[in-house]
Amino acid sequence: MTTRSAQYALALLGLVPWSRGIAQNLATAPDTIPGTVVSFTMAHVPAGKGAAAPFWIGQTEVTWDMFEVFVYRLDGATQPPGGVEAVSRPSKPYVIPGAQFGHQGFPALSMSYAGAEAFARWLSVKTGRRYRLPTEAEWEAACSAGAATTQATLGARAWYWDTAEDRTHRTGSAQQDGIGLYDMLGNVAEWVMGRDGVPVIKGGSFQDEAKDVDCAARRAQTPAWRASDPQLPKSRWWLPDAPFVGFRLVRDQ
Amino acid sequence: MTDSLTRRDFLQTSAIAAVGLPALPFGVPSLIRAGNDDLIRVGLIGCGGRGTGAARDCVAGAANIQIVALGDLFDDRLDESRKELVQNIGAAYQVTDDHCFTGFDAYQKVLESRIDLVILATPPAFRPIHLKAAVAAGKHVFTEKPVAVCPTGIRMVFAAADLAQQKGLAVVAGTQRRHDPLYQEAIKRLHDGAIGAVLSGQVYWNQGGLWKYDRKPGMSDVEWQVRNWLYYTWSSGDHIVEQHVHNLDVANWVMGAHPARALAMGGRQVRVDPAYGHIFDHFAVEYEYPNGARVVSMCRQQDGTAQYVGERFVGTEGTSDARNSIRGKQPWKAPVSELNPYVQEHTDLVASIRAGKPVNELRQVAESTLTAILGREAAYTGQQLTWEEVLASDLDLLPGELSFGERGVAPVPQPGVTQLSRPPFGHSRPVAAAPKP
Repeated sequence: MTTRSAQYALALLGLVPWSRGIAQNLATAPDTIPGTVVSFTMAHVPAGKGAAAPFWIGQTEVTWDMFEVFVYRLDGATQPPGGVEAVSRPSKPYVIPGAQFGHQGFPALSMSYAGAEAFARWLSVKTGRRYRLPTEAEWEAACSAGAATTQATLGARAWYWDTAEDRTHRTGSAQQDGIGLYDMLGNVAEWVMGRDGVPVIKGGSFQDEAKDVDCAARRAQTPAWRASDPQLPKSRWWLPDAPFVGFRLVRDQ
Repeated sequence: MTDSLTRRDFLQTSAIAAVGLPALPFGVPSLIRAGNDDLIRVGLIGCGGRGTGAARDCVAGAANIQIVALGDLFDDRLDESRKELVQNIGAAYQVTDDHCFTGFDAYQKVLESRIDLVILATPPAFRPIHLKAAVAAGKHVFTEKPVAVCPTGIRMVFAAADLAQQKGLAVVAGTQRRHDPLYQEAIKRLHDGAIGAVLSGQVYWNQGGLWKYDRKPGMSDVEWQVRNWLYYTWSSGDHIVEQHVHNLDVANWVMGAHPARALAMGGRQVRVDPAYGHIFDHFAVEYEYPNGARVVSMCRQQDGTAQYVGERFVGTEGTSDARNSIRGKQPWKAPVSELNPYVQEHTDLVASIRAGKPVNELRQVAESTLTAILGREAAYTGQQLTWEEVLASDLDLLPGELSFGERGVAPVPQPGVTQLSRPPFGHSRPVAAAPKP
């Protein structure tokens, strides 16, 4: 157990104070990508419906600040001789539709499930803590643990068709849910491993109407998501026609 | 001339093409099949990801297309392309082994094949040569952008554009925004006065860096530079020419003209490793159009920086991004378009061939390419340059007779030092020694 996770264990036992967000009893754990000043925060999801054991989930969707450290080697990592790395990195995209919505603090988007998963594996190697993508059950557990979002609160908590004005918004700029998470619903829909073993995106996005923005909302990838990739073979890392796709991380410990 | 051609002329012409006589001095189109959807045979020159994708898009864009010949400098790129096409275009793939050509003369062999239409998708360095040869051989053309990297190449392309016009050949360029119905509708409205007189514009291609190709042991200078072509002015034109030409093309489209002159700055600030050749990583250019309107352009390839690709125009009575919306006196919001412009450009090209009314975008895309070259040279030299002086310049970055051997890398341009008139590997022409006293 690392020093840091030992601290969290102590915190769970109530022996040291949590860092606290706005929400009551909110348990969060900060982390930093080594070699950078890029930080992010994981929030605690208690065991319960859909989650046999407690776990940690990203308080926000993964941002460009985080994802680009991986894509562009902004941690100063050099390419090893022969180019073989523990985790292969996405190609540098020719252009990302939707990237103009915003950069610092804005959700990374248009990446494939493979790209999102590779980021989690890379971050695990980088930090020594095991990050991964959520399962659909975990994602729904976290979503519903944040207290059922009603139509009344949706407008304050989510960037969707009625509120988003056709673009993503800076993570953390809408209201937190009951366990301190931002943008579980709306902004970018989020990659998870689906119950049927096929990756799906959850929660709806800035493009979806209110009826399609909830904890159960799910969509699988279609060919249209990369129809306009002008290259052949098409990129396995980027989805040029899916600026509504992003992800967030989970961690077991 | 086009309209006067008869069906019999076409058949005679195709017979000439079939026996493989290239470059008739005043040749006529190989095959124009007005008013039907007869088979169109396509050759691909430049089998990278974009060329292979363009072949796929051509097949997707029109009925009764066959890909019949492939050419590339390198065996490995050609093999990858064959594999992808076999998997992706089904029976439209009709390339036999004896119609796969590699080496520096592969383009000539593709053009000597029995094809009606050729896709030109090599790195930009070779485009003027390939355009000239394709038009001389009487082929219809889909050409990727940019169409040249230097004024000497632009003049060759202008000549090819005129000859294509005389011969009734269709030429469509990979500036796919011209084939996006939303750009078409928005810009038509701008031309009809939806935002009044257009006073200024801003165009952007800001993003992170792109792939590089690492040099392998024993690889010659020329092979490495061609494989790593993004990073040499002679092979890509620099990123302002290679990428940002798209947005500059939109500016010229909206303004209905090419710029008269440019003032610019730029540099190589972050991406300084020699693995990235000698090109800049950012430019900012002010273009002045003949009516006095200014368009400011910026383009950047720096990792981890804010990204934006697009255009915006400001008129006396409103603003517009030239595609999605018009705000002001006559507001407009674009409908959702499912149409893929990368496919539509081929649909339009083939339809024009079959209708006997060949579109010819070559001069237009050459002007947009020269717009980008004008901005680049204004930045490289640090001088305000006019369209005419750049067009007339003796700057010649054409590859010439290439073989896999040595090739130096020009120094990084230095504003205030680098001259427009310069040899391919220097800053300025050598000056005569001062006479001895």
